[in-house]
Amino acid sequence: MAQKRKSLIKIKPKKFKDGEVVKVSFMVMHPMDTGTRKDKKTKQLIPAKFINNVKFNYNGQEITNMTVWEALSTNPVFTTYMKINGKGKLTVTYTDNTGEVNEKSKKIKPKG
Amino acid sequence: MQRRDFFKKLGVVAAVSAVSPVMSFAGDKPKSKNAMSYETAINAITGGKTPKKSAKVKLKVPEIAENGAVVPVTVNVESPMTSSDYVKAIHILASKNFNARCIDVHLTPANGKAMFSTRIKLGGTQEVSALIELSNGDFLIATQSVKVTIGGCG
Repeated sequence: MAQKRKSLIKIKPKKFKDGEVVKVSFMVMHPMDTGTRKDKKTKQLIPAKFINNVKFNYNGQEITNMTVWEALSTNPVFTTYMKINGKGKLTVTYTDNTGEVNEKSKKIKPKG
Repeated sequence: MQRRDFFKKLGVVAAVSAVSPVMSFAGDKPKSKNAMSYETAINAITGGKTPKKSAKVKLKVPEIAENGAVVPVTVNVESPMTSSDYVKAIHILASKNFNARCIDVHLTPANGKAMFSTRIKLGGTQEVSALIELSNGDFLIATQSVKVTIGGCG
């Protein structure tokens, strides 16, 4: 049950060389409902829906693996560092507690 | 029933009905399946070891958070990040949330730098801590209290 979600991968600085350590942030539009909040109109509990797992993959190697719980804010941001190691592709895979799996990737082209 | 008695009873009923919805609401507050207290969460991660306080771990959280729904957290750890000596995992915990665990980040030497930042929800004034697992099996901890003006969990 895949649903289209807006997501974004940002790399800072924009221009980087091979072997440099850069900041990578991944943002995604997601409700992150805890399952304890009530709808104000219908007075019914909103079922839990939050991201379970986020994986950063770079050229087939798993860099970072995160186990996520309910306590992250809506539209979460995940920021880490990454060492550039040649041309390739950074793929972020994220899984939902309802079984929703999505992917986002970005090409990486070091200069010089 | 006399008129005087009737008003007395009416008053009692009004008082009880005014209090009871609040009571019942507090009583059956829904709990998540993942609910875990702070101490058990730390024990589950460390396996009984006591984490050491260290200046190597830098936890950056605002002292006063106006909105508990969005609290930025940044964890910075001094580490060479080589294959023999690196930070294995960063755990972010909130002491009074119904599920104390916020996020577990498993890093590798390919990260190059041990840093993680995100935004978390806090239900009220409490302590936020970062529990660091090193590659040699040691655990480090850094804690800071956060004052929350408006809670963000419900």
